[in-house]
Amino acid sequence: MRSLPILVGALALATAAFAAEDPVVVRQTLMDGNGSAAALAAGVMKDEVPYSPVIGNAVIGSFAATAAAFGAFFPEGSVGGESAAAPKIWEDPAGFQSELAKFAAATSAARAAAGKDGPADKAAFVAAVQPIFDTCKTCHETYRIRK
Amino acid sequence: MRRFLGALVFAALLGGAAFWFLTIPRGLPAAELAGLPPGDAARGETWFWAGGCASCHAAPGAKGDDRLRLGGGRVLKTDFGDFVVPNISPDPQDGIGGWSAGDLANAMLRGITPDGRHLYPSFPYASYTRMKPQDVADLSAFLATLPAVAGRTDPHRLKFPFGVRRGIGLWKLAFLTDAPAVALSTDDPAVLRGQYLAEGPGHCGECHTPRNFGGAMDVSRWMAGAPAAEGEGTVPNITTGAGGIGDWSAGDIVYFFETGFMPDFDSVGGSMVEVQENMAKLEASDREALAAYLKAIPPQPVP
Repeated sequence: MRSLPILVGALALATAAFAAEDPVVVRQTLMDGNGSAAALAAGVMKDEVPYSPVIGNAVIGSFAATAAAFGAFFPEGSVGGESAAAPKIWEDPAGFQSELAKFAAATSAARAAAGKDGPADKAAFVAAVQPIFDTCKTCHETYRIRK
Repeated sequence: MRRFLGALVFAALLGGAAFWFLTIPRGLPAAELAGLPPGDAARGETWFWAGGCASCHAAPGAKGDDRLRLGGGRVLKTDFGDFVVPNISPDPQDGIGGWSAGDLANAMLRGITPDGRHLYPSFPYASYTRMKPQDVADLSAFLATLPAVAGRTDPHRLKFPFGVRRGIGLWKLAFLTDAPAVALSTDDPAVLRGQYLAEGPGHCGECHTPRNFGGAMDVSRWMAGAPAAEGEGTVPNITTGAGGIGDWSAGDIVYFFETGFMPDFDSVGGSMVEVQENMAKLEASDREALAAYLKAIPPQPVP
């Protein structure tokens, strides 16, 4: 019986490893992270969450981490099923790369503006984050379909 | 035998005459057109954004002031064939610079051209027909302020028999109506304003409502969601029924129109990006009216 926790642990590990190998699951998890960061940013913009530079840095850092990794999880053929990826990603790879580059450039600029301590006030935070938000739509307009 | 052939010819002639008669393009009454007061361009701008004119008639991907250059040319690929979106800039030769407000009203409310031909319902007059003529006159005044763009667009490339324009007359007889899409027992001005915006100029139902055997919006499943007419994927159910947006508050809907973010902070995509950006240009009260309307329409399950 003592082996049961070990078995459960091993199973969980196997599941995690399997999930990490599925690019659809990885990229969806990355996008969920973007959603959480956007929700926090919107909370600040709507004055529902009091702003502090720590929040600013957390939001921008989260977007930047996703931007750095996201493009690596679209191998040819990873479409269909639960995926909302549009076939256009593989039909027009240059166009998709250009959208990824815009997302990465917007997050880099935001990090540069934020500095080590984060944007000093709400206005500076909104100015840094809005260009990132704009790239959500331009990419989803062409490269994401609804199921 | 001769008598049979004669009867056949007679029947064919009768059928042809009936087709001819039934499919005559019929415009608005001359008295109604003559009575149209001059349009107000400032008010017309509201109808321009609410109507989404730029989403089809501007160049694909146009941003900023380029969205006001309505030279057409975008191709809508559908099961009926390829529709080429025409130039509606004020260019007198290639656009609609020569059209009167009444001509625009006939196009938007009755689906006919100034020279009396039927327009294809890919131009969403099945929705615009619910607009008030005065609002079309205002829109006409606004369109006249936009830059003229030279260049005549190609004709549509349609599959047989859809290339026979006169056949659209039958389609109109069967399906074209300016009655409200859904009956709402309310006198809440916000809901009624939202109904006008959504069912008329906004033409939301053109994508969000499933189509019947004749390709017309099925009002019994109003806004229940549908397969995308162009490309892949589906257009979501935006009623409060199962699979719809019943868990969105009215405030969530307003915020979506303002920013493009859904309650879970997924962002708007596909052709809805343009629509959302158009709605963001309306008065805040109009976005609230749309939200009130979407909360008031009958819930529908996903078809």
